[in-house]
Amino acid sequence: MIDTLDHCNIVFDSLENGTLVVDEECTVWSWNKWLEINTGIVSEEIIGKNLKEYYPELDYKGFQRKIRTTLRLATPTFYDASLSNRFITIPRNKVTTSLLTTMQLQVTISPYIPTLKRVMITINDISDLHELKMTLQHRMVEIAKLNNVLKQDKQIIDANLMIVKTDCGCLITDTTEAFCHFFGYENEKLVGRSLSSIFVANKHETEFLLMKDLLQKKQKWSGEMELHKQNGEQVWMDAVISPYLDETNEIVSYTAIYHDITDKKRIELLSVTDPLTKLYNRQKFDEVCEQMLMRKHWTSVNTFGLIIVDVDYFKKVNDTYGHQIGDAVLITMADTLTKAIRTSDILARWGGEEFVILLPDVDMEKAIHAADKYRQAIEQMNVPKVGTITASFGVAVFSYGDTQETMMHRADRGLYRAKENGRNRVESVLS
Amino acid sequence: MKIEEFSSDHLDVLKELMNIAMGNATASIADLLQAFGTMHIPHLTITDMDGLKSQINHTISADEKYYVTKQLFGGIIGGEFIFVMTDESAANLGHYLYDVSQPSDADIMDAVIELTNILSSTIISRLTEELNTKVQFFAPSTQIISGNHIIGQDETLNYHKIIIVSTEMEFQSHKISGYIFILARDETITRLRELIDQKLEELYA
Repeated sequence: MIDTLDHCNIVFDSLENGTLVVDEECTVWSWNKWLEINTGIVSEEIIGKNLKEYYPELDYKGFQRKIRTTLRLATPTFYDASLSNRFITIPRNKVTTSLLTTMQLQVTISPYIPTLKRVMITINDISDLHELKMTLQHRMVEIAKLNNVLKQDKQIIDANLMIVKTDCGCLITDTTEAFCHFFGYENEKLVGRSLSSIFVANKHETEFLLMKDLLQKKQKWSGEMELHKQNGEQVWMDAVISPYLDETNEIVSYTAIYHDITDKKRIELLSVTDPLTKLYNRQKFDEVCEQMLMRKHWTSVNTFGLIIVDVDYFKKVNDTYGHQIGDAVLITMADTLTKAIRTSDILARWGGEEFVILLPDVDMEKAIHAADKYRQAIEQMNVPKVGTITASFGVAVFSYGDTQETMMHRADRGLYRAKENGRNRVESVLS
Repeated sequence: MKIEEFSSDHLDVLKELMNIAMGNATASIADLLQAFGTMHIPHLTITDMDGLKSQINHTISADEKYYVTKQLFGGIIGGEFIFVMTDESAANLGHYLYDVSQPSDADIMDAVIELTNILSSTIISRLTEELNTKVQFFAPSTQIISGNHIIGQDETLNYHKIIIVSTEMEFQSHKISGYIFILARDETITRLRELIDQKLEELYA
């Protein structure tokens, strides 16, 4: 028996865990090398003595009950392996972290020599595992905090930013509350619909094609869009549409972010509009004329024209009927000319009773023909109280080296000539 | 051998063996913890993961906090022993075993582990003894979780067909009660059937 026990002690010493043998009274019968090293208590000192002398803090009532259970049931019993484990305290020397200063132990009490009421207690150091668990728990707390922040951010975005998400086929997959509220839709009714189906009547075909082209090239598009709410109200949006690509560089979805710029657009429009006739004002005309002059592709056969229109005997209308009637004449003139010109022509009020028209892609003959058509349209107008009125037209076309001033000068000379030659006429001046 | 071949006769034998095992557990607890309790007649079912969830949901309140101790056992038959106690029962157990009016979390945790140890070893050991086999117990772990987290989503892949042995244990005078679930998967169900067949041959030879 003694030989066998000695042999067992040799085996215990070779184990990479703590192993001790105690009886029901907690007297120590074996204390292996691992325990000697990690507790600083040598086996010769502790064997034969009671564990209580060395570890008085241990709850011996519970410990002895576990020993009794082990012996009675002939099966192992275990200590709780969580952080609240209350078996003996063994210091830990890890320097790189201070999460655990004492070893986290997994303690198993197994039957050893039941006839002598002795049990074997094995102690495994599971500190690294616990450290990982604690680190993981710490990370989980951090992730939960981040998720909370993200949730709050999402709520702010949802309530304040107009965002639409679509799949790669431009079918809506999600919208923010702000988008639905602004455009007057319900999210559930939008999901699955095509984005273009809710934004009908896009007047900016060129921009739309440009956008489509950029998006197909997997690039971001940004620009201004004129859209309509569900109730038909026209609004202006500053939009950014971005494709989302997967790892194989294929488009997975699109995200469109809209910002309402309707008020800004209205202010912009007011700054370039003549308040009486609602036509472009002189400032806007100067800007457009400058852009027209800067185009490089004008030739002698493909050029642009400039027409100055002046109401005949306008001073007499004002003197006879008053300024309100005079204003009505100018408004009627503006409406008539707006209806008569081509969509590509630019009409503006130059000042007083004078109007100017820019006609892209015309030569002198076509410009004169257009001016005469406008003259006839005015001649057929009927202004309440005044009756019919007429206007005179001066025409000039762009020649190489022209500036706005030189073109205006020639058109003005044509107008003067039309007035001189009896009014209600079209006259042109070549360069 | 198919799991479906686990007949009603097999279930009856297993139920009888479980009754013996439960009686053994009650006696051991009375002896070791000086607590006199009752064990309800065990309920046996062969089902799948959804069936297990449904049975746990039926027994355990989804939102309440529980001390849930899980202990694995292995051998010819292997599986998982789960012991579920309410907060209140666990505190009463801690109070009883450690003889303090306000048991600490550590007292409670250790008391729950201790009771689970006794329950699992007596029930499973007696069952395996009756079936002439042996099992090894692994260290149990206790978590304080809500009822709907007893079965995690990640655990659903671990079992295909599951045999569930469930019962309730009560120490009325100490206001301690708990639910026991013994779960075993396909291979164990097959081996259990074989062991029961051998036992029947033994009995009627």
